[in-house]
Amino acid sequence: MTPAVEFRSVSRHFGVVKAVDQVDLSIAEGAFFAMLGPSGSGKTTCLRLISGFEMPSAGAVRIFGQDMGSVPPNRRHVNTVFQDYALFPHMSVRDNVAYGLMVRGVARRARLARAEEMLALVKLDGFGDRKPAQLSGGQRQRVALARALVGEPRVLLLDEPLGALDLKLREAMQDELKSLQQRLGITFVFVTHDQSEALSMADRIAVFSEGRVAQVGTPSDIYQRPATRFVADFVGSSNVLPPDLTVALGGPRAWASLRPEAIRLVADGRLTGTVTGARYLGAGTRLMVQAGAPPASIGPRADGGPTDAPRYLGQDENGIAVLVPAGVAVPEVGAEVTLDWEPSALHLMAGEA
Amino acid sequence: MSAATHPARGPGDRLTGLFWRRPKLLTALLLLPPLLWLGVVYIGSLVALLVQSFYSIDRFSGLVVPEFTLRTYGELLIPSNFDIILRTVTMAAAVTLAAVVLAFPVAYFAARHAKGRWKAVFYLGVMLPLWSSYLVKVYAWKLILAKEGIVTWAAEGIGAGNVLSAVLATPVIGGNSLSTSYIGTFLVFLYVWLPYMILPMQAALERVPASMLEASADLGAGGWRTLRSVILPLALPGVIAGSIFTFSLTLGDYIIPQIIGSSRFFIGQTVFSLQGTAGNIPLAAAFAVVPIVIMLVYLTLARKSGAFDAL
Ligand SMILES: Nc1ncnc2c1ncn2[C@@H]1O[C@H](COP(=O)(O)OP(=O)(O)OP(=O)(O)O)[C@@H](O)[C@H]1O
Ligand SMILES: [Mg+2]
Repeated sequence: MTPAVEFRSVSRHFGVVKAVDQVDLSIAEGAFFAMLGPSGSGKTTCLRLISGFEMPSAGAVRIFGQDMGSVPPNRRHVNTVFQDYALFPHMSVRDNVAYGLMVRGVARRARLARAEEMLALVKLDGFGDRKPAQLSGGQRQRVALARALVGEPRVLLLDEPLGALDLKLREAMQDELKSLQQRLGITFVFVTHDQSEALSMADRIAVFSEGRVAQVGTPSDIYQRPATRFVADFVGSSNVLPPDLTVALGGPRAWASLRPEAIRLVADGRLTGTVTGARYLGAGTRLMVQAGAPPASIGPRADGGPTDAPRYLGQDENGIAVLVPAGVAVPEVGAEVTLDWEPSALHLMAGEA
Repeated sequence: MSAATHPARGPGDRLTGLFWRRPKLLTALLLLPPLLWLGVVYIGSLVALLVQSFYSIDRFSGLVVPEFTLRTYGELLIPSNFDIILRTVTMAAAVTLAAVVLAFPVAYFAARHAKGRWKAVFYLGVMLPLWSSYLVKVYAWKLILAKEGIVTWAAEGIGAGNVLSAVLATPVIGGNSLSTSYIGTFLVFLYVWLPYMILPMQAALERVPASMLEASADLGAGGWRTLRSVILPLALPGVIAGSIFTFSLTLGDYIIPQIIGSSRFFIGQTVFSLQGTAGNIPLAAAFAVVPIVIMLVYLTLARKSGAFDAL
């Protein structure tokens, strides 16, 4: 099947800044695709390459198989929910929503009726006469959504649409967006820097780092099997273990990731250390543990040298993160703890040499 | 000194404290001088003008009769006076329209595309003409537009002399030369007031966020549609502000039509001669009220049509 959106080694450079650098992507039709990455990693630029507000410096963007090289934004069958919503302040909510139809010459009566339907779809019936300035942030977000959907685009682009909302509203909107997407069957390309948002909503996630795609996969791929140190650290702040330490902890010589929530506090385990910090998260407590000498149960290094796990963990001033679930007694800072985990929790990262 | 406060450093700190406790005092003190100026000097003289316009002049003695009457306003409507009003308003409207058309591309370029150095070039280019004397500029234009002037010379040089003659042969707006025709008056008005249209327009366009234009294009609009449905409505307050300048400045000016153009009177010249040699202060006042009324009507219409909704 032709992918809805395809990037073929697309680059977009601004002078020396490589905002997007040799990105290959394939977004299947009907997918809920998230672009996840830290600030400045090139997510917005990628989205703008799809909508046509940026042109690639190199490579090609295809939408439903058609090269977009010479297609201006107004002729692409793609609509955007802008980060700041970009509602037209001088038009009523209804006229805002109907704008895309007016542009296409739909008769006034028909387009206003259709706008009402779209407003009902986003649960804003009765708000048509208001001006955008008379709406709350969450309501504006819905208007922007209705406005972008009214033309029945085949691909909807959303640039951190929930960024400005409070947590509660955000979660409600996440559910609504997800169910809307499933009902309409439109391809959603969703930009966010919030990993939990990406994990909970998307079918597939592309993790961006410095203009490049570090990994593409399903949420569980990304979370449980991060390909690179960057992905492991950025998504869920995993412990990233250098090859020597992986060996010391009983694995092969490779970079590995160990999720904080996969580590348990036990009486007798693989590693002992001192608690150097604790951060209360509500649903649990995140401990930082500075490892001491590994218990004797951890064998000598494969090459016969001394076990130097403490040096590795000691070098990293953050130590090793452990998530203690709520309900479990949290040790004091300074206490000695012993850590253990299932062998399968130690994930080896293929993307790291 | 206590642990919770810094010591006062003198009268400045005490004054700051006073204003902090009574914020209205500061507002009142700040507003007093401009309110005095506006209220007494400015509004006061306007009221005096208005009152004068309801007086009339005794035809035999030539003295002002301080009794309220509408007779003076009636005189405005006699054909020779009404022509003056019509001529002035038409000129002001033409100058304003032309200024909008000429100013828009310049303002748009400055607001959307000019960065750093180009922005400086823009401001300099727009403001520079304002730094030299108005009279000097007007007389310079008289020379430029004169029959023996550079425009005629250049037109003949490129073989367009007959085009110029044809334009000057147009009834009403034509004339013996550019400097003695309405066309000349129009050109000089346009030149002199153009900066007053460009600057507010540029400020308004600058406030239209780029994402608004992208949203329009994203929804399928081409350039013209975006211009008509998004840019112009959002920039309209600036256009109106600029047009208030060009319109009212043209309505009130009495020097340009006196130096350049057919020798027929505009409102400003009429006021000047009525209050001077003719000594007919009431009629001069009535004439002076006309631009005020026109501007009020104009602003009301603009507001009714929603021009300021985007403010
Ligand atoms: N028009 C531009 N000119 C120069 N540099 C740009 C331009 N647009 C983006 N960049 C640079 O490209 C890089 C990627 O920017 P982009 O907006 O795509 O990041 P992002 O991932 O969306 O970040 P955020 O989460 O903060 O929105 C940044 O370093 C940015 O400074
Ligand atoms: Mg962004």
